[in-house]
This record gives sequence, C-alpha cells and structure tokens, in this order.
Amino acid sequence: MPQQRFPKVEVLSIAPHAISFILSETDTSMANALRRIMIAEVPTIAIDLVEYAENSSVLNDEYIAHRLGLIPIRYTPEGSMKGGDCHQAFVPHRECLCYDRCARCSVEFELDVNFDKVNQTRPDQERDLPLTVTSRDLMSNNILVAPAHFLSEEEQDESHDEGISIVKLGPGQHLKLKAIARMGISKEHSKWCPVAVATYRFWPIITINEEACNMLTLEQKQELVEACPDRILALDEITNNLVAVENAYEMATFTEDLKMAQEAMKKRPEDEDFVSVVHSTDRFVFSVESTGAMDAEEILLSALRVLKDRLNYLAAEVEKLKD
Amino acid sequence: MNAPERTAAFLLDDGEEKVEYYADTKVSNAGTFTFNKEDHTVGNLLRMQLLRDPQVKFAGYMHPHPLVHKIHLKIQTNTSQVAPAETLSAAIEDLSNETDHLITQVTDAIDKWKKENVSGMIGM
Repeated sequence: MPQQRFPKVEVLSIAPHAISFILSETDTSMANALRRIMIAEVPTIAIDLVEYAENSSVLNDEYIAHRLGLIPIRYTPEGSMKGGDCHQAFVPHRECLCYDRCARCSVEFELDVNFDKVNQTRPDQERDLPLTVTSRDLMSNNILVAPAHFLSEEEQDESHDEGISIVKLGPGQHLKLKAIARMGISKEHSKWCPVAVATYRFWPIITINEEACNMLTLEQKQELVEACPDRILALDEITNNLVAVENAYEMATFTEDLKMAQEAMKKRPEDEDFVSVVHSTDRFVFSVESTGAMDAEEILLSALRVLKDRLNYLAAEVEKLKD
Repeated sequence: MNAPERTAAFLLDDGEEKVEYYADTKVSNAGTFTFNKEDHTVGNLLRMQLLRDPQVKFAGYMHPHPLVHKIHLKIQTNTSQVAPAETLSAAIEDLSNETDHLITQVTDAIDKWKKENVSGMIGM
C-alpha cells in the first residue's frame, strides 16, 4: 500500500558557502531528518591524530592538536572547484584494510615552522615580531585535500588574511609535526560537522480578510502595518488595501502584537480577524551555511545520499528479520 | 575514565543486531522493533510514515535515554492479515522512494537556479 509523497524543492539562493531553499509537500519528520543529518551525519575530513617532532611553542601539544582538529579541511574532486562529498574518495579508517594508515583512509599534513629560519627572510619592519603559524603552513600529501581558506580566488585577492591562526612563535621557537586527517561524522566529534548553520522555518500563511478590512479606516490599516514588529504587512499604494509584503516568509516570527492590535480594533470580540498568520505544516524554508569544508549544495546532496543509504540498510535488516 | 566510546553512538557493538523484534504478548497484531544505534532522525521519520498507512492502528517510538543509543518503535496493525514487519517494510520503501524523488528534485532545482543566475556565480 504505497503512501509515498512527492516533495518539491525550490532554490532561493546558492553561494559556495550557503544555500537557501524551500522544501514543500512533505512533513516535519522529513525536514527534521534532513536537518539532523546535515548537522550530524554528513562525512567530512578533519585532523584526528597529530605526531609531534618538536614543539617549543608556548602552547602544549594537546592544545595545538585540538586547534588543528577544528580547521575545516576541504576535499576538491578532480576537475572541480567545489568542496565535494568525500565519501567516495575515502574509506572510514576503521573499515580500511591497511595496518595503520594509507592514502585510501587518511591524508597526511606536514608542518615545520622554525622562527629563526623564517626571521631571516622577513622584511626589516617585521623582524623579531611574533610569527603566526597558520593553516597555510600545513602541507598536504594529497593535492585534492587542503585546509579550507577561501571559497573563491576573488575573495582571496581581496583579503589580507593569511589563513587560520594556530599558534604564535617567538625567537628560538620551533614547531614541527605531522597531522593525520581522517574521514568522520560529527556524531563522533563536532570537528567533522560540515555546517555552521542548518535550520528550517515554517512557511507563514498570511490571510487577509478583505471584507473585514473594508470596514477599517486608512489610519487603522496603517496602525496594523505598524503593529507588526516584523513588518510583514504593507499598504497597497494604489488601492490602499492591506497586503502581505513579498518576502514576508523571511521575516515573520512574532505576530502577537498584530493579534492584540486587531482585538482592539474589532467592534465585537467575536468578529472575524482582519489578518491571520499561521504556520504551514508542509512547507519549510531551509537555510544552510557551510564551515568551508564542503560547498553548501554538496552538503545537501550528501545528506540525502546518507538518508537514502540508511533507509536501504534498514530495509535489508528488516527483511532479514522476517525469515 | 568511564566515558563511553565516542563511536558508541553510531557503530554497532560486537555481535549486536541492527534491528530486533519483540512481539507483544498482550496485544494482538502488535510488536516492538528495536533499532540499535539510531535516534530521532530515523525514529520520527518512520513513525510519521507508519501513521499515514491506513493498515496501522498504532505507531509510536521512544528514545529511552540520550546515552542509550537505540530507539523502540511500537507498531500495531488493524488485522492479523498484516504483520507489523510488513507495514514497516512498506514504510521504509516509501521513504526510500521519497528520498530518491528528493534527490532528483534538488539536482533539478539547483541546475534551474544556476541557469537563471549564471552571472551571479562567483568561483564556480
């Protein structure tokens, strides 16, 4: 007995770091599953193990290892500019057949910064100032994998940023280490989380009762427009009728003030509302922002793939149970 | 020292089955499925899908404790003709098809948006 739904998707905007879209004709369980998977189950790459050769900086080994772990690492598939889904390019290290680590399950980064060596090459005005070790000093052994810096060359040209700071070195200090990055999901540690923001909000249904509104004076209509702190209403310039503004769905949050203002305007308390705002139960406005480890649209597609794989796995397990 | 393994939330323990079934001893046509290493993501999804099935009389899930990584899904069907496992399989299949549909929808919507906004794309 198929009870399948056919949800619809409309994209509102796409940037490398963010995507916004409308999911409709499904219910909160699907919207929430998608949100939860984007936050906790989309695999990414992050530094998981650090081997120190020398650390004479002011921060201890663990402190630096933690900072390294939090640097977003980007996998860019061959022939693409996008931060892509790493799930086909790597295997989880627990499932890998290798003894310790190999190119299939891990990426090695080398970092070797010696203050005294770098100091000789610095311009005079900077000499002897503290030297910042950044994510740029991490040298990857896989050309497709690198710390996330900028999402476009344009952005990079405009910025004076030198990458993500790790530690500052003073005269005589030396930091040399090998960092091993692995694929994981943020259920294990949030350093593997690909999203900074993944939220959805309910689509607001704004109904304007034209008949009741005709009873209002222009001043009263103006009062209703101003009563709403989110400015979801406006007056039509030609007809002077109340209308919902075009991007009301982006703004509608708090409508209690609107309700109160209406109650005060009604002749009798049982009169119909002039404007009603309720939330839709089958239409959601998603907003997803990436940490830089993956492009936002890839996160969405990857989340759907994770969900699909999970359901197929469960289907097979339930089938096994029946025998 | 006694902290649980961080991977305990998603990796099955040794010898642990993904899905277990316990038939209800007091109610007919009913039983509880235990999904190990699953949470609200799948629990709520399955419950809502089962509730849309007219053959299902009751469907509910619970996550016993945030540190206990399993969910219990209880299903009761209308008649003895339909086993709870049958309705669960149908629900999973419907959800799987829905996800397939969503994947094509998302891919199409992204392509459509990009066609309409080519000039707006930077670094793509």
